[in-house]
Amino acid sequence: MRKKINISLSLKLTLIVISVSAITIASIGFINLYYFNVHYEDIFFENPYYETASSHIQALNAIIGDNVSLNDKDMLMNKTNEFLDSIPPEYKDNILRITYNIADENDELIVFFSTDNTSIGTISNPYIQVTEKGTIACNNNAFEQDHIYIISEHNKDSHELIMLYPINLTGTIEGTYELVLSMNDAYIRFKEETDSQVKWTVIISTVSLFFLIFTFLYLLSRAVVRPIITFRDSAKVIGQGNLDTKVKINSKDELGELASAFNKMANDLKESRDKIYEYNKILENLLKQKDEFIGQLGHDLKNPLQPLVGLLPMLIEQEKDPEIKEALQLMNHNVEYMRDLIFKTLQLAKLRSPDVKFDLKHLNLAEESKNVIESQKHLFKQNKIDVENKITKEIYVKADKLRLAEIFKNIIANAVKYTPDGGGKITLEAEQDKNIVTVSISDTGRGMKKEQLKRIFDEFYRADKFVKLTDSIGLGLSISKRIVEKHGGKIWADSPGIGKGSTFYFTLRSTNEK
Amino acid sequence: MVNKIMVVDDDPGVIYTIKNGLKRLDSNYEIITAENGKKCIEFLETNEIPDLIILDILMPEMSGWETFHKIREKLTGEQLPIIFLTSRKDQIAKKAGGFLGEDFIEKPFKLPELKEKIDKILNRT
Repeated sequence: MRKKINISLSLKLTLIVISVSAITIASIGFINLYYFNVHYEDIFFENPYYETASSHIQALNAIIGDNVSLNDKDMLMNKTNEFLDSIPPEYKDNILRITYNIADENDELIVFFSTDNTSIGTISNPYIQVTEKGTIACNNNAFEQDHIYIISEHNKDSHELIMLYPINLTGTIEGTYELVLSMNDAYIRFKEETDSQVKWTVIISTVSLFFLIFTFLYLLSRAVVRPIITFRDSAKVIGQGNLDTKVKINSKDELGELASAFNKMANDLKESRDKIYEYNKILENLLKQKDEFIGQLGHDLKNPLQPLVGLLPMLIEQEKDPEIKEALQLMNHNVEYMRDLIFKTLQLAKLRSPDVKFDLKHLNLAEESKNVIESQKHLFKQNKIDVENKITKEIYVKADKLRLAEIFKNIIANAVKYTPDGGGKITLEAEQDKNIVTVSISDTGRGMKKEQLKRIFDEFYRADKFVKLTDSIGLGLSISKRIVEKHGGKIWADSPGIGKGSTFYFTLRSTNEK
Repeated sequence: MVNKIMVVDDDPGVIYTIKNGLKRLDSNYEIITAENGKKCIEFLETNEIPDLIILDILMPEMSGWETFHKIREKLTGEQLPIIFLTSRKDQIAKKAGGFLGEDFIEKPFKLPELKEKIDKILNRT
């Protein structure tokens, strides 16, 4: 599975802005530098040298004139020196060499004469050549009368301007003058200038770019990130149930609209929640009234029962006529049932009230269950039921002693009630998982259908309508449910079906964690 | 020795039950009755003090609580023990702090239960 890395919105925006800026800088810089090196050099830097060189070469041509023979080397040298002398010293240093290139009898161009003696005899210039027709050409263009050819040659450390001018002493072009000017000093100056220019350009653009980025980010955070953070924080507060909180974003954009829509939603929620609270309060009040009514009625029913409870047993004992005695016993049975009903109903109402208090103690589950089984012995004997208690001794639970006994008693009584007359078996078990103990009580009784299981804990519900009304109140399991829930546990029942027995489960908190 | 027991209750059914029931269970009881607290106090002022009072709590004219306070102003629990009759055990529990040491029985009770309580108190002194 891919793991998602959590990147904050501002970091994402920063990364986007920085990468976009980097791409912009790089492209601007590239274009800038390209134009500096190529165009600036050609157009602005070399132009002054062209003028100097062309005036030099025309002056040389004039000094040498028409009357000098190529064979007279001394004469050529003198004339050349004469030319060099005529040049002001500040310009002279730029002249690297003056060379005379002449085509020989084999139509090969050779250096006939040079102020730089070392290169005599070999052709040093790759730009000029003799064509098949025997004419001298520069870059395949035949030399013309009085036409100047200029070539600039840039190497790593030397920058030279080569100027070629045809030698025409006998009416035909016999060769070329070659004047080579050094452009190094200007180039160095240019480099210094451009370098510092580039440096400053880079510094200024970097600084301004950073400034721009930060301004942009600041504005972005003001406009987008901060409202979103405000939104998130408000949403958290609202999520905690504080529906009065408003998202305070006043900007008139999508975020502002979102905020006002959100506020409206929170407000609607608050209204419906308040309504629910109101209804809930009414309901709670009604429930309270119901409990109070049941309580009052229950207690008021106790008083008139007193003579019946007190006198009926006395009359039964005294009565000699068996028919009247039987009638009295039936009455007594009904009175006992009513008494039980009143006590159980009051108990249930009391368990529902919020201020009911339990006396929680650390109890040994095996011992408590054993006590209950002991107390119900006569019931098991009467109904021919075997009881097996499989609860082990090491389990301790946190519970109210009397109420725990009541849970056992109610569930067991229920199991007995729904076990047919032929007898059966009840099994008690307990299992501990961490700090939760699950108690199960299974019987071999009639079992239940699914829809019966759902309603078994409802008040006054009887799983079997044929059980005699006066034998069962139908509150035992409801009381057990309340007790278990007040202990923080759960209670439920399970049955494979009619005739297959059923199992009741309930959970309690343990005091000895496994 | 015949024990004199006073039953104070506004319900004639209860008076009848206790009066006849107790007599049947033990012929050593002499039962006097009063229908409310006021009559009970009046009786105590002019007659010999009984051995025990069985006192209902909810009564007209003068309630059981009021009667109880009036009695206790003059007589201690040892001089005149009281068993409260109540249908609201929870209210007794709430006032327990002020009525510690007093007995009570919850309606509807069976007569042997009441006799057991009475005998326990009478044999104490």
